[in-house]
Amino acid sequence: MATEEDIPRIQLGDYIVIQRQKYTKLQKFSSLDTTANLGKETLELKSLLDQPYGSTFKMCVKETKPGKRGAQRQHTLELCSETELRSTREVLGISSSGADNRDIQDDGEAQTLKPEDIAQLREECNDSSKIIEKLVENSKTFHNRTEYSQEKYLLKKEKKYFEFVQIRQPTIRLMLDIFYRQDSEKVMGIRVDTLSQIISYSGVCGFGSYLLYESGTNGLLPAAMLNSIGAGTEGTLVHMHPGNVPQKQALSALKLPLEQQQRCVSVNLYSVLREFYQGGEAKATDVPVVEPSANKPQETQPETPTEEQPEAIEPITKKPKLDESKSDREGAKGPPRWHLENKRATALMHAEFDSLVVAAKEHPSNILQALLPLVKPSRPVVVFSTCKELLQETFMELKTTGKVTGLHLTSNWLRTYQILPNRTHPEVNMSGNSGYLLTGYTLR
Amino acid sequence: MSFLKPKTHIEKGDVVILYLSVSSMHAIEAVPEIVNKKGETIPHIFQTNYGSLKVENIIGVEYGSKVELSKGWAHVLQPTPELWTQTLPHRTQIIYTPDISMIIHQLEVRPGSVVVESGTGSGSLSHYFLRALKPTGHLHTFDFHEARADQARDEFRRHGIADFVTVYHRDVCNLGFGAELDGKADAVFLDLPAPDLAVPHAFKALKLSGGRFCSFSPCIEQSQRCIQELTKLGFNEIVSLEVLQQENVVKTRTLPVIDLEFLKLPKTDETTTATNALESKTPKEVKKYLTSSNPQTLPGHTGFLTFATLPPNIPKA
Repeated sequence: MATEEDIPRIQLGDYIVIQRQKYTKLQKFSSLDTTANLGKETLELKSLLDQPYGSTFKMCVKETKPGKRGAQRQHTLELCSETELRSTREVLGISSSGADNRDIQDDGEAQTLKPEDIAQLREECNDSSKIIEKLVENSKTFHNRTEYSQEKYLLKKEKKYFEFVQIRQPTIRLMLDIFYRQDSEKVMGIRVDTLSQIISYSGVCGFGSYLLYESGTNGLLPAAMLNSIGAGTEGTLVHMHPGNVPQKQALSALKLPLEQQQRCVSVNLYSVLREFYQGGEAKATDVPVVEPSANKPQETQPETPTEEQPEAIEPITKKPKLDESKSDREGAKGPPRWHLENKRATALMHAEFDSLVVAAKEHPSNILQALLPLVKPSRPVVVFSTCKELLQETFMELKTTGKVTGLHLTSNWLRTYQILPNRTHPEVNMSGNSGYLLTGYTLR
Repeated sequence: MSFLKPKTHIEKGDVVILYLSVSSMHAIEAVPEIVNKKGETIPHIFQTNYGSLKVENIIGVEYGSKVELSKGWAHVLQPTPELWTQTLPHRTQIIYTPDISMIIHQLEVRPGSVVVESGTGSGSLSHYFLRALKPTGHLHTFDFHEARADQARDEFRRHGIADFVTVYHRDVCNLGFGAELDGKADAVFLDLPAPDLAVPHAFKALKLSGGRFCSFSPCIEQSQRCIQELTKLGFNEIVSLEVLQQENVVKTRTLPVIDLEFLKLPKTDETTTATNALESKTPKEVKKYLTSSNPQTLPGHTGFLTFATLPPNIPKA
């Protein structure tokens, strides 16, 4: 039987997901002084330390500062129990409602409270249900609204004045939601259905050796693959990227055990291929130089696409260093870390891979030409692109070579539904672009 | 034994995918002899549209190789859950890769996960669960049809993945998942005609630290009743959605280029007009385009997927 002891606790250095109703945000809890901004609310995270993940906290106003766009409120967080969270309708005990909207006029005078009154109210009471109660009391039309419309009104107000946040542990599912909602470009436009299919078609699991090339998904694609490889298994991942430093935010946020993190070998595409074909002729510089011959325009290299990036790679690069501290003491002039990673990657390349995944901003054609020979026969190949035309060309090229069979070019249609008694319908907005997947199996 | 991990050569007893074309694939068992209807042991010969295959000959062959048929050739591939789903013997309606991928993602299944599934059906989804959770997790799968449960159990054993799955013959709507699974599951999946009846059992089976839930229903009324039950028991993050995958058929099209410009010029004399007319009917110039289009008929509906989260520390008593 699971006990509370099984639930992991929030630690300093963790990435956390802050959820306020449907809004979620990924935040690093770096120190006790860390604050998080949710719109006009600033949250002091101090009190989260050592609390179990999944807990709900109440936002308590500490001070209100005038900001650029209205008042910015600073809150402390107080752990609260589930029972404090009741539906506003229940708390307010609303009973009467109208049949339809024939008596309701939009004259802007339905609410008798002035904005100043509401602002004052907000500072005085911590409880959103009290604020909403006052709003309802002072609304001339509320009780004439239909029950559905009342509910909608309450939900809208609740959203605005909701004073609870939940702290959750990041997972691939939660992070993809956050990244895709904030800016789908952050994950190269890989939508949830598409990511789920990349994982399926690639066959990535606890056994085998996998090869991934991606040009910038904030670490989400390698994180998703490493997550599927799992802790305490024998699977390995070689993660090739075009920049000097791999994007690793999502990988760090998963807080995987060290042994699992170390089974993801992140290497620069150019430098590792040079190492693979030409052996240990790598230059004695400390930085893996992107080969100038590779006509790679500088601006497409996602080295620091987000502000969080430099900080994001910290935990991963630090931990292995601690581990290597012994060898550091013995011979301080060991080869640079990237060089060791290249060596590990080339060993895996010589042993050949059990699957290849390519999610490139570049044309996938040349990348496949370089990486396909590293894949064993009868193994899946998955290529993602936001652009169908690139995959059409690649489809034909692969078909002509005869080295890949079972080729399919697919896209997806995804629709979410509101399902409520007597009010079931598709959501008003839907995403129009899933991106495209080219899948197939290698032949001998 | 070919579902456990990636392997390079066909061994006796492997399930092998015989790939003839995009629309023609067969799953065959690599055994040299089979028992026919009369109870006699005979050599295993497999018939295809391109002639027969003596199955004995493919044992020891490298996966991904081309093999000779009596009237053509085919490729032998190691089965994956994706290929298996397209070739498995249907005992029930099955769920396909696009829905399954979404289920695995939303249920957050990874090595070590404990998953409860009902019903087992033809085992299409079970193979994906097993790939995702092995070698450290476990699948508990239930079906109320005894023969189906037995067939599935036998299949998992022959596929080399029996260590990670327990198959139960039980009607979970009435009897639940059993006390031994109380508080053990990270995720519960239901594909039942009345999922709402099994939701309270799913609630009991999920860990106290919380977990994920999914129900697949072809009809929206089933989802509605299921959601009412979920809400009552304190599940949150309830989302219903539909995924449809569309094939893009890639083709090179050769199109004639019609020249209409010459019509603007007056006729010069009769002979050139004759040649012009001839030319316009058989244009010299053609252009090649690489195109893709959706097929004439597509799957328009599979089912509604309803997902929900059981938050941690909800008292179960």
